[in-house]
Amino acid sequence: MIAQLPRLHAVTDDRVAARGGLVERAAEMASVAGPRLAVHLRTRALTGAEQLGLARSLGAALAVHGSWLVVNDRVDVARAVGARAVALGRAGLSARDARRVAPEIPVARSVHDAAEARAAEGENADFLIAGAIFETASHPGGPVAGPALIEVAAAGGLQVIAIGGLTPANTPAALDAGAWGVAGIRALWDAADPAEAARAFLAVLPAAASIAVTVNGESRAMAEGITLSGLLEQLGLDPRAVVVEHNRHIVRRDGLAQVTLAGGDVVELVHFVGGG
Amino acid sequence: MTTTTAPAFQDTPLVIGGRTFRSRLLVGTGKYKDNATMVRALEASGADVVTVAVRRISLDRTKEEGILFHLDPSRFFLLANTAGCYSAEDAMRYARLAREAGFNEFIKLEVIGDQKTLLPDVAGLLEAARTLVKEGFTVMAYTNDDLVTALRLEEAGCAAVMPLASPIGSGLGLLNPYTIRTIKARLTVPVIVDAGVGTASDACVTMEQGVDGLLMNTALAEARDPVAMAHAMRLATEAGRAAYLAGRMARREVALPSSPTTGMLS
Repeated sequence: MIAQLPRLHAVTDDRVAARGGLVERAAEMASVAGPRLAVHLRTRALTGAEQLGLARSLGAALAVHGSWLVVNDRVDVARAVGARAVALGRAGLSARDARRVAPEIPVARSVHDAAEARAAEGENADFLIAGAIFETASHPGGPVAGPALIEVAAAGGLQVIAIGGLTPANTPAALDAGAWGVAGIRALWDAADPAEAARAFLAVLPAAASIAVTVNGESRAMAEGITLSGLLEQLGLDPRAVVVEHNRHIVRRDGLAQVTLAGGDVVELVHFVGGG
Repeated sequence: MTTTTAPAFQDTPLVIGGRTFRSRLLVGTGKYKDNATMVRALEASGADVVTVAVRRISLDRTKEEGILFHLDPSRFFLLANTAGCYSAEDAMRYARLAREAGFNEFIKLEVIGDQKTLLPDVAGLLEAARTLVKEGFTVMAYTNDDLVTALRLEEAGCAAVMPLASPIGSGLGLLNPYTIRTIKARLTVPVIVDAGVGTASDACVTMEQGVDGLLMNTALAEARDPVAMAHAMRLATEAGRAAYLAGRMARREVALPSSPTTGMLS
């Protein structure tokens, strides 16, 4: 169980990626959703180098808000950019092989029926992406499994992200069937205002738990899942202007996005002042 | 009246921890009435090395500028201190945070034992010095004027030993030239007198003891005109150094005439 697994997943496809402005739209959603959002980079058309470049830009924009970057299929790209998870499709690597490349990155598997869900559990996937639950514009006329698929997928104990035709209106039904969260493509990327669309989903998704963190001697309530990078952003501090100590350990600037805060953590943010 | 950047007498450069500095005057950045005065005073002092402290950043006024907004790190060598630390553990913690800021591995180590006098806690100071030296820091240790402590600090691997002239911020000047001279005579690493200098004559007298340099802060910051005092201190440090290198005359308890005693009129 990944306690900080985001509830809202914005999955790209080649059409969305090709349209341009992807990183900007992702940043808009991330600025309202923070650690409750995961953006999946999913593309077949881009070369490895192109995917790497895009993943890096996306990852940087998301990390500032504590949002996740999930890379689909390309475990090597996921590892190179420090993605929070890798999502494997039906035709992709097995979870075991993915872990050979990047043992430290959580693995999600796409599942479309009970058999695939059991197989994914057998491979020790970390979470499942189950769909298509409802009618979707991405695959019109394709098989629709209904919320029953969510129940079946969740039966094995893994967290399930429901995908396929999810909207704020039908999200409660998905949650009732046992989903941890929901994924959308057009519902988010094609919205006139992606931040608003994200807000509409978040309003019907379980809220992030609040944790108490001591920062420079004062207790502050923070959203569960926030990283040190997100904390600095929230406080309006430039990472280059402070030295960060987390539970008595100094965290280097390039590692701030990798440290997730937990309740009871003690953070000290220091800088140079005049002195003799 | 003009002053040149290089002293007009033959001197070797100040070398600490493998780094060479042009000026033997090190200056603190605390307590100035405003940043503009501080910057002008630092410039007037001719100092290469300036000290800074490590403190929590203010979260309520996130637009407040840190001292690095006013100090050019390419113009000044930033020597972080562990001011306010009363234990070895605290001092080591602050030193590590200072190093993480990424400028250099030097630390002016202070472990204080008494709040009123700000005299060092020698046991804590030695413990922190040993550990920090092992961690690769270049340790410059603020200490009292006890020879044995100074020797132990040198043995521990400190790159410089910094005995006080008198308590921090007291402006009492050099209280014991004998102990400072003794320390300088016995140590191999540079001896930089830190703390207690109040005015130019203090700086001059201290440098005349043969020490390698001076560190001062309050003498400038609390002068009526810090920039003028910084200028005076620069001259005084050079004058004291020049006098030391010149080799002073012997003291005598009776008079010896300077003019000839022969050829007097009858």
